[in-house]
Amino acid sequence: MEMARFFFAAWPTHSAPDGAGTAAWYLLFTTAMLEPQTDGQLVRRIASSSDGAASARDAECELCRRFAPRIRLYGLRHLGDADRARDLIQSVLLVLLEAVRAGRVEQPERLDRFVLGTCRNVASHVRRTDARARPVEAEELDVRWLAPDAERIETVALLHCIAELEARARAVVHMSFNEERSADEISVLLGTTPGNVRVLRHRAIAQLRSCLDGAGKHSKSAPKEQV
Amino acid sequence: MSAAICSHPIAFETLVAYWAGDLSSEDEDAVELHVMGCARCTASSERVAAIALSVRALIPPLIAHDQVAKLRARGVRIEENAMVPGERKAVVFRRDVDVLLHRLGGLDLANASDVSVTIRDEDTGDIMHADLSAPFDAATGEVLIACQHHFEAFPHNVLIEVRAMASTGESKLAKYMIPHTFEFAALVP
Repeated sequence: MEMARFFFAAWPTHSAPDGAGTAAWYLLFTTAMLEPQTDGQLVRRIASSSDGAASARDAECELCRRFAPRIRLYGLRHLGDADRARDLIQSVLLVLLEAVRAGRVEQPERLDRFVLGTCRNVASHVRRTDARARPVEAEELDVRWLAPDAERIETVALLHCIAELEARARAVVHMSFNEERSADEISVLLGTTPGNVRVLRHRAIAQLRSCLDGAGKHSKSAPKEQV
Repeated sequence: MSAAICSHPIAFETLVAYWAGDLSSEDEDAVELHVMGCARCTASSERVAAIALSVRALIPPLIAHDQVAKLRARGVRIEENAMVPGERKAVVFRRDVDVLLHRLGGLDLANASDVSVTIRDEDTGDIMHADLSAPFDAATGEVLIACQHHFEAFPHNVLIEVRAMASTGESKLAKYMIPHTFEFAALVP
């Protein structure tokens, strides 16, 4: 934890009048200065550097920037709450940084496995104890700069787009995401096959995506698979 | 893999199934491991997640009786408005209320096999919402409409038609007229 404090204290967040903006620019600057590197290269650079070396800080910055959105997705999926997902980012990144600095990551090229395992452990603890992860103070690790807030979808726009779905597709979306029914259950209720439910479901989500991206302008167009 | 280009992106259908919670645990693990190492699939997954989570957060306009208790347990502030067939009642949606719950009662639903609900703009007759298989409570003879803040964007003078269909093919129609005033409307620029 002390090392994490040291690293994040090095960010010029608190010294500048517009600390938040400065941190964001610093992050963008350091990211732009780094050549694309694998996770393993970044881990070795951090582990082999002396305390506080600028190149190690840049590498740590890049690792955090790289993994924060992925950790958030895991948190949203398994903790179902944006606040808990944000806390999870903090907790997991601190574990990651401490492990990398201490040379405790055995397979640097498979850092994704390490991060996923840490996500599972922390999320499991949170669910078991029905508590939020223990976030550190915001000034130590401000995830807003690492993973800006997720896309916000206007409720009214979403309702308009849902209204434009075919009735059967609308029913599948409702049963899948509001009633949390499986494709097998929905197929029984609608008198069709699970495979057909899956097709209806992913086409409906593609159509909603297309509708929202076009603010409703293209909602009548054929759904695209790659959205 | 993080800095590399993804050569095997996860199929859109698989991401949708993942966010619907409809993958086997093995497939779910595989998706999560891939996404954790892949910037491109992270971006794709974020786009599906935004829709899935937004849909999940919606309260449907027609709700079942057991959902009311769940909403209250979640801290949703509910004000109730009981109505009988043929009634016209102006309502005010207060700013300290989350859901204005219209209890459309006085219905004989004892023998109903299906209930359809159509919500119209009373001034134009345009359909705003239709549900051919609405949740209903046969014992109380009620259908519940969960009016929410964002409905302020839709026409305020509402005509709700409830048609109860019996297994014999007989159907009965009831109408409720509800002009709405949204107390918080003035706050919206």
